[in-house]
Amino acid sequence: MSKKMFVLIGNYGSGKTELALNFAIAAAARGERTELLDLDMVNTYFRLTEPGRLTRMKEIRIVSPNFSNSSVETLSLPAEVQSAFDMNWDTVVFDVGGDAVGATALGRYREDFMELGDGELEVLNVVNIRRPLAGTVEKIRHLQEEMELHSRLKITGMINNTNLAQMTTPEELRDGYEMIKQVSELTGVPVKYTSGKKKMLDIFLSEGHDPKYIGTPMAIDTYMARDWDSWIQSL
Amino acid sequence: MSLTLMKGSEAIAEAAIRAGARFFFGYPITPQTEIPEYMSARMPEIGGCFLQAESEVAAINMVYGAAGTGARVITSSSSPGVSLKQEGISYMAGAQLPAVILNVMRGGPGLGSIQASQGDYFQAVKGGGNGDYHLLTYAPSSIQEAINIMQFAYDKAEKYRVPCMFLADGVMCQMMEPVEMPPMVEYKATRENKPWAAHGYKPGDAPERRAVINSLFINTEELSVHNDHLQAIYREIEKNEKMWECYNTEDAEIIITAFGTVARIAKTAADILRGKGYKVGVFRPITVWPFPSEELKAAVSGCDAILDVECNEGQMMEDVRLAVGDSKPVHYFGHCGSQIPTTEEIVAEVIKLKEGM
Repeated sequence: MSKKMFVLIGNYGSGKTELALNFAIAAAARGERTELLDLDMVNTYFRLTEPGRLTRMKEIRIVSPNFSNSSVETLSLPAEVQSAFDMNWDTVVFDVGGDAVGATALGRYREDFMELGDGELEVLNVVNIRRPLAGTVEKIRHLQEEMELHSRLKITGMINNTNLAQMTTPEELRDGYEMIKQVSELTGVPVKYTSGKKKMLDIFLSEGHDPKYIGTPMAIDTYMARDWDSWIQSL
Repeated sequence: MSLTLMKGSEAIAEAAIRAGARFFFGYPITPQTEIPEYMSARMPEIGGCFLQAESEVAAINMVYGAAGTGARVITSSSSPGVSLKQEGISYMAGAQLPAVILNVMRGGPGLGSIQASQGDYFQAVKGGGNGDYHLLTYAPSSIQEAINIMQFAYDKAEKYRVPCMFLADGVMCQMMEPVEMPPMVEYKATRENKPWAAHGYKPGDAPERRAVINSLFINTEELSVHNDHLQAIYREIEKNEKMWECYNTEDAEIIITAFGTVARIAKTAADILRGKGYKVGVFRPITVWPFPSEELKAAVSGCDAILDVECNEGQMMEDVRLAVGDSKPVHYFGHCGSQIPTTEEIVAEVIKLKEGM
């Protein structure tokens, strides 16, 4: 079985970390040898590999930046990242920092990525149009170009992950679909996935949108929930 | 209604700009560096000024200068940086300069940690600098609430001519929430709306057009009169500006007192406890100075006990006790440093308290 590598990049706050966890947990649940790499060098305050989560996910090998979760951030990556390329995984998921700045962390591994076989690498742009910096077709295109430049990788697909955290409705996916469709038509970058909580996703899928701009539907669970999340002031 | 998903620091920075702030002076420090980062990109777009000062001390004195011209100005920092700003804040209180100061609290004392904390309550509400002064201090509990308060914070600061502080914490600025942004306000200081400010003076102008922004009163009688004036203003603020929230307190047997991020965790805990049959409510001061003392006293009149929950040693509990006196037992739960109390811990603590009654 060949290796499948998912690199998740995208606008800061688009939901990459949550998706990365979902990709990795789904792969592990299928019995695949899975590695999840936290390459987030931008938003270091809340990160994927928080201590509690690590112990609960023993079936997934996790690589974190040096000194992560110790409230010390040296913004350096361990040599262990190389294991993604050198070891025999079924699925490897990279959770990369937001925007072009975050994507920069990938540039150093260009040679390794280039050595992957055909179809082994997916570089996915996670799009949430409810974020101010990804709120228009132009902004998404601009960001996409910048991220490709900084990561030295070609984006192979987009993920419509439009959401408003706990206040998400199917309208988010619908509006995201319309905008990302336009981006796809202009750039030729296909929509590979549409992701959201199962309830929202089912409603969206029942509305008869063009499957070409939906890609694979991906029902996701929330793993990053925190104590203070549950109390959002009603607007 | 159009909602966007925003990080606390971005949202608070944008809200300040929309409230008319056109000057930002600050210095980076975790967990609020995203605020200066955002301001550095946003201020040039709207003809504002972003300046990274050489230190927090310099930044607060730049705030003093800009506020002296009547401009709407903002600075932000986190605990150790806010400690450095205290001299300037005291000077601004003395010189009666309106401005907004954000403290995104982290663990202390000293350098502490970069994680969220509530350890600067005393510093904010009891006066961190020298002299008899107060800051109008808001402790928002959600990003939307911070945005909403920012819309009138400058109006209040200018009405009373006091610096206004936002007491937030690392969680508030780092988390993301769906928010609605208010429209942009264009603010211009004029001789009419701010006659006291420095609008420019040239030789030959009438002497009263000079604006001396100062906190030095060498004559003791003058200083005394000045202080009486300040105290009168503080009494007015106490009378008019208190804000608080009562959450299911009407029939509550136990009332949790908490502010900021901890208060929203306390509400979740209260909801869970209601589900288990415990009558629990939450009293949340939104202004921590002025502290809503009478309102708290009224809210707890029918309860059996108060549980004060904070991410500090129980600093606000002193104000809770001053408010309720001996009328109710006041218990404390929390952690010093940066360990935010969890929902489970609060639930367990209330049950323990109830069973011990």
